[in-house]
Amino acid sequence: MKIYLVAFGILLMALTSCEDDDFCDKTTTPRLIIGFYDKDSPESHKDVPIYVWAENKDSIYELAVVDSILIPLDTQNNTTRYKFSTTNIIDELEFSYTTSDEFLSESCGYIAYFNDFTVSSQSNNWIDSVKISSTNIENETETHVKIYH
Amino acid sequence: MLKYTISCCFVLFSCVFYAQDKTTTSPVSEKDSIAISALENTVTKDSVAFKKNYGLRLGIDLSKPILSLTKDNYSGFEIVGDYRIKRNLYIAAEMGYGEQNTRRDTYRYTTDGSFITAGINVNTFKNWLEMDNEIYLGARYGFSTFSQTVENYTIYQEGTEINGVSGPYFEPRYEDTPVTHDSLTAHWFSIVFGFKVQTLKNLYLGFSFQMNRMLSTTEPDNFKNLHVPGFNKVYSSDTGVGFNYTISYRIPLYKK
Repeated sequence: MKIYLVAFGILLMALTSCEDDDFCDKTTTPRLIIGFYDKDSPESHKDVPIYVWAENKDSIYELAVVDSILIPLDTQNNTTRYKFSTTNIIDELEFSYTTSDEFLSESCGYIAYFNDFTVSSQSNNWIDSVKISSTNIENETETHVKIYH
Repeated sequence: MLKYTISCCFVLFSCVFYAQDKTTTSPVSEKDSIAISALENTVTKDSVAFKKNYGLRLGIDLSKPILSLTKDNYSGFEIVGDYRIKRNLYIAAEMGYGEQNTRRDTYRYTTDGSFITAGINVNTFKNWLEMDNEIYLGARYGFSTFSQTVENYTIYQEGTEINGVSGPYFEPRYEDTPVTHDSLTAHWFSIVFGFKVQTLKNLYLGFSFQMNRMLSTTEPDNFKNLHVPGFNKVYSSDTGVGFNYTISYRIPLYKK
């Protein structure tokens, strides 16, 4: 009888301990976080009504009044160009980087981190200046790029 | 549980008898008690233990070759063996080979390697007459040496929502150059529960179920040991399960 109790206990232990990692609930390939700041007082956020899109693609933001945006980067290439438009004035930024692929977890698989990150303005119509906070983009918790306008 | 309750009752009843014994004189005379002990002696002489076959038992796992034929992403085999050292105690071991290809949503990998497990089995089944069947519990130490090959993967990049429809904004990069991580090892401990039935003289059919817990592994660079030969799928809590259906033959050496 004792032996069956032990066996039952073991079975119970096995059933409760086999957790499967089926759903990816982590931040996967990080998106680029851009914050909009006031060019006259660089510490404070400044809202902007904005359209954001990449060449030949749909807009990710359509006339959204925001002080920060999240946009994906192209993992197939080492550059991504985005157009930023406010009140029909368009500026274009080019982001350059290298990617490094990391195995995140069983359910998430491989994700990309972006390293050696740089940004170059293709035009300066409404954007005054652009500053990057970090050359590595590995999370979605901090602002990576600051746009002053 | 019922058995336990009943034996509890017996213990309590004996306490009652004992309590009565103290106050009254024993109703059993000396002559009677001699007769009783003589009866007990004959009872113990009657229960002659049937001799059991001792020897090396060897067999194969039937499930692995069948799975190799029916599943196109698996091939493997396993041989099993045990040696009886006491009436209900066996030294047992399994060794084998396994190759498994696993497809996940964004990547595919192949695990390839061999394993050995060794330990003991304790039979808990009370056999009648000359029967020699087993319901056993066992413990094993397991070791595997293997390789992991990441066949391909697509970068996991979550969709961007545009007008309520979510999808990838840029097509994520797909890599299909296989990367092999060699000479990986794993050590684990398992608890086994199983049956063995003697169907013909010295020929046994068996089933066993193993619950594994990983002790240590060498992990590949930029990947994880999600499957280990002999251990099977490694769950996120470092546990695994396995089973086998065996047919084995005992080479009889002596009887005891």
